[in-house]
Amino acid sequence: MNVYSIAYKNLLRKKTRTALAAGGIMLSAWVLATLLGFNKGYQQGLNRDIDNMGFQVLLTAKGCPYEAATLMLKGGTGLRYMPEAVVKTVYTNPEVEKVTPMLMHGVFDPDKGENGAIAAYLGVDAVSYPPMKAYLEFKQGGWFKDNNALEAVLGYEAAELETREVGDKLLIPGVEKEITVVGVLKRSGTQDDGTIFLPITAVQALFNKKGLITGLGIKVKKDADINAFENKLYDLPDVQVVSMAQVKTTIMNLVNSARVIVMGIAGIALIIAMAGVINTILMSVMERYAEIGIIKSMGAMPLDVFKMIWMETALLCGFGGAAGIGLAFVTARLAEAGVRYFLPYAPNGALIALDFGISGAAFLLITAGGLLSGIYPAWRAARVRPLEAIRIEGEQ
Amino acid sequence: MKKLFLLLTLLALPRAAFAAVGCDLNDPDRDVARLFPGSTGYKTRYLSVKTSGGQPLLERVEKRLGDKFKGLYETIDVPYTLYDIYKGKEIVGYIHGVNQKGEYGGIQVFLALDKAGVIRAFYIQKLTSRAAKGLRAKEFGAQFEGLALRDFEPYDPVLAKLPPAAGASAIKAPAKAGKDFGSVLRAVKKNLILLDEFVFSKKEK
Repeated sequence: MNVYSIAYKNLLRKKTRTALAAGGIMLSAWVLATLLGFNKGYQQGLNRDIDNMGFQVLLTAKGCPYEAATLMLKGGTGLRYMPEAVVKTVYTNPEVEKVTPMLMHGVFDPDKGENGAIAAYLGVDAVSYPPMKAYLEFKQGGWFKDNNALEAVLGYEAAELETREVGDKLLIPGVEKEITVVGVLKRSGTQDDGTIFLPITAVQALFNKKGLITGLGIKVKKDADINAFENKLYDLPDVQVVSMAQVKTTIMNLVNSARVIVMGIAGIALIIAMAGVINTILMSVMERYAEIGIIKSMGAMPLDVFKMIWMETALLCGFGGAAGIGLAFVTARLAEAGVRYFLPYAPNGALIALDFGISGAAFLLITAGGLLSGIYPAWRAARVRPLEAIRIEGEQ
Repeated sequence: MKKLFLLLTLLALPRAAFAAVGCDLNDPDRDVARLFPGSTGYKTRYLSVKTSGGQPLLERVEKRLGDKFKGLYETIDVPYTLYDIYKGKEIVGYIHGVNQKGEYGGIQVFLALDKAGVIRAFYIQKLTSRAAKGLRAKEFGAQFEGLALRDFEPYDPVLAKLPPAAGASAIKAPAKAGKDFGSVLRAVKKNLILLDEFVFSKKEK
C-alpha cells in the first residue's frame, strides 16, 4: 500500500468532515473560476462590440447627440450638423483607412402611442458604410446601391415593429414620398437592430439638409497612433471626437474597480477555505496521534508521515478545486444572467468566458493555497514522538 | 440529484432563440384607466398560439379568420399580451392588442371588451398610413363600440369584403384609408377570434 492510497483512505474515514472541507474549497474554486472567466469574457465582449461599430473614432458636431436613443430622449431635437467637406479634410490624414459619413434625422410621428413619438432615420453612404459594418447580415434583400434612391434597409426589430419585408413601402411622417424596403437585416444584438437606414443623399434631400452630416465614422489604420490622431481632430473647428478606445477604457476602468472589490471577496473566500483545510487536517492529525506514533515506531520516517498528511490535503484540494471549476462551467449562464441584471452596461455575447487556461489557473491557485495550508498539520504530524504518542493514548 | 443536475444543465444552456415581437400597451397604467373607466386594476398575461394549442389552434384560428398567418412576423409563436381588467377583486373585462401589417407600416390595434366579449373601446396605438388621422379619430373608433365577434365573422380579409347584413358593415372607412381600412378590420377580427380562443371559449368549457 503506497502513501497515496493511505491518504485517500484516511479522508474516507470521516466522510462528512471531508465533504464539508471539500465543499468549502469547491465554492472558492467556483468563485475564482467564474471571476477569472468574467474578466476575460467582459473584455472580449467589449472589444467585439467596439469592433462591430466598424470605426474606432466618431466625429460629430459639438453638442450633437450621436445615438438614436439620445436623440429620442431629447425629443428629436438638439441635432447639430457639420459640413460634408469635413469628410475630405479628415480623409487626407495619413492615419485614416476609411471614413463613412452619416446623417441622423428625427421626425415627430403623431401616430405612435397616445401622444406621438420620435422616429429616427440614419442616412448612410451606400459605398463606404456596408464594408465598415461587414458583420451585418441580411435576412432578406441587401444594401441600397444608390445614394439618391428612395430605398430603406431596416434593422430586424425595426422591420418587426413596422411589419416590413423586402418590396414593402414605408411612409415617413410628414413626407409624402414612399420609400421601398430593399433589405431587412438579421438580428445583430446591437443598436442597428432598431435602426432604419436610408441612403445619405436621399435623407439630405428629403429633410432639406443638403451638404450636411451629423456624424463621420473613422476607421484608423492598424499601426496608427490613435491618441495623436484624435488630438489632431480636436484642432478642427466645432467638432467633438467620440473615441471608442476612450469609451472602452472608461468602461474597463469602472469594471476594474468593481473587480478589485469582488476579487478581494474571492480572496477572503480562499483564505476561509484554507483555514477550513488547516482545521480539518489538523483535527485529523490530533485524532490519529497514537496511530501516527505506531506508524513511526514501525519504521516510518518523519518525511513519510509529512508526505502522507500533505497528500491528504492535496487530494482534498484537488477534488474540491475540480468540482468547483466544473460547477463554474455548469452555472456560467446563470451567473451571466445575474451579472447582466446588476451591471448597468454589459456587452453582447458570452460574459463569462471559461476556457482551459482559466480553469487551469484557478485549479493551480486553489491547489497551491491548499498545499500551503497543509504544511503546518503535516509538520505537526511529522514531529510526533512514537513512545509519547502511544503513552498518551494509553492514559486516555 | 439527477433532477438538480438536469436543472443546472438547462440553466447553463445558451439562450439561442429570440422571441417574436408582441403587442403591449405603451403605458398600461394610463391606457387601462382610459380604455376601461371605472376599473381599479389589471393583471397581465402572456399567451401565444404555440403554447395555448399549437398547430391545431393555429389552423382553427386561420380557418375562422378566413386567411393564413403570413409573413415574417405573423407566426405561431408571437406573444400576445392579455390584460385582465379588475374592479375590486372581480374581473370586469379584457384588453388585448394585435399587430397587423398595414400598407406603409405596422398597425397595433387594441380592443377593450366586457365579460360578454362586447367591444367597449377601440384604440389604434400605432400606425403609419395616409389616413392615420381618420383611423385614429374618436369618431372612427366609436363605430366599433357595442360590436362583438359575430359582427365581424362574415368579414373576408382576403377580398376585404363585408356582406351588407353583417353587424360591422355599418362601419365607415375614413377618407383615403384604402387598404389600411381592410387591415384594421382584419386586425379586429383576428383580435376577437384570439380572445375567444384564449378566454371566452375556455370559460364556456
